[in-house]
Amino acid sequence: MVISQKLALSIFLVGKVLRFTFFFFFLFFLLAGTKTLAGYEVNQALFFFLTFNVIDVITQFIFREVYRFRPMIVSGEFDYVLAKPLNPLFRVLMGGADVIDLITIPPLFFAVWFIGAKLSPDPLQIFYYLLLLINGLLIATAFHIIVLSMGIITLEIDHTIIIYRDMTSLGRFPIDIYKQPLQGFLTYLIPVGLMITLPAKALMGLVSPVGVASSFAFGLVAVFVAVRFWNFALKKYSSASS
Amino acid sequence: MNKYWQIFKISFQQEFAYKVNFIMWRVRNVFQIFLIFFLWDSIFSDPGRVVFGYDRAKILTYVFGVLIVRALVLSARAVDVSADVAKGDLSNYLLKPISYFKYWFTRDISSKALNISFAIGEFTLLFLILKPPFFFQLDPLILIAFLASIVIAIFIYFNLLFMVSAIPFWAPELGWGGHFLVTIIMIEAFSGALFPINILPASIQPIVLATPFPYLIYIPIQVYLGNVTGIALFRTLFLGVSWCVALWLAMNNIWQRGIRVYESIGR
Repeated sequence: MVISQKLALSIFLVGKVLRFTFFFFFLFFLLAGTKTLAGYEVNQALFFFLTFNVIDVITQFIFREVYRFRPMIVSGEFDYVLAKPLNPLFRVLMGGADVIDLITIPPLFFAVWFIGAKLSPDPLQIFYYLLLLINGLLIATAFHIIVLSMGIITLEIDHTIIIYRDMTSLGRFPIDIYKQPLQGFLTYLIPVGLMITLPAKALMGLVSPVGVASSFAFGLVAVFVAVRFWNFALKKYSSASS
Repeated sequence: MNKYWQIFKISFQQEFAYKVNFIMWRVRNVFQIFLIFFLWDSIFSDPGRVVFGYDRAKILTYVFGVLIVRALVLSARAVDVSADVAKGDLSNYLLKPISYFKYWFTRDISSKALNISFAIGEFTLLFLILKPPFFFQLDPLILIAFLASIVIAIFIYFNLLFMVSAIPFWAPELGWGGHFLVTIIMIEAFSGALFPINILPASIQPIVLATPFPYLIYIPIQVYLGNVTGIALFRTLFLGVSWCVALWLAMNNIWQRGIRVYESIGR
């Protein structure tokens, strides 16, 4: 790797770390003054923010290739992907991980452990948290598959993924702060609540086993529907540019 | 003057050529407002609450003020300058009988004109939907000072953009990285776009206020809210003008050095 590329990588890494740090401290200073946010105390509110980052960073790390899908479709290069003996969905979904996000994952996990421990969860709450975190990643996976599928049909990826990211960024705080109908929208239609708020609530002992099970069922159904939509979209691929 | 008017008109039309890009940029702004609005709305759910010197009306005015001030100050086409330098397209402009700085400043003004017209529409729509208590500033002197602070902010942002855009003179691959670090991360954190600077601890505020970033959004809104008055107002505006001059001189110096090493790579 040439020096300028290393420097560019370092700049992006520093930028991402600074963005996280600035927001974390903003939240910390804010809560130091207000003491609570929508009924949650300082460490709880920080834990919501950290859980958002866990989902956000892991999905960006794993699904970075989605951001490169449009040129592949527009140029017809996707033909080569289809012709190879490898699942095309796997290739365009997880074909290029982002090393910058990988570097940020260990310190983020440490922060989750550090703040999470202050909430004194019992083993069952930790288990629910991990289970719902996996469920959050499943829902995120479903969204990325839907974005890819829409990309095949409409040739539009960049804006759809940006809208998805802006929607999920509303999960930096517990969705309890939003009023209806936005809260309902974020719970059921774009389930930021299920992806981010619910896992954090589970660690705080605020989610029942039925809530965990139904949320997990939603995640599985979302992935199933997304894969069906992908198969439908593949049939619409016209390979127009190749 | 006429040629810059023509540039203004062409640039305005160009914005409409990429309608989806523009609309998505506006949608993103609205999402950011949602995030900040509901955060503060939740904190100030008790109407009588006063935190960090703000009551409910003033903090929600701050949030809506961000929408308008962002459109006026942070809408700019000059973010593309670094690509001109990196790809060698700058050579095309150096051969033309126009000032490169005036060319981009005209394009920036065009972008701001378009963005502010949309921002006013969004402001009205969000205002009707969210029905926030709003602090209307009626003092004409303060309103004039607010407009002056906006002009200062526009010049500061323009100079900052051109300074960052000069990075590719020495490192063509780092153009976007520089913008990411300065015009996205630093400005998002320290301009007041996300939160008022005075929620920070008293020991940190003077450090942030000693940078040019708060003059972009935080200071104009503080002026509008009437939180900076009298001698403090004059001093604040004077410091803003000083930043404009200092950054203009620094930017010119950097660009003169950059032009000397410019090799028009890729042409």
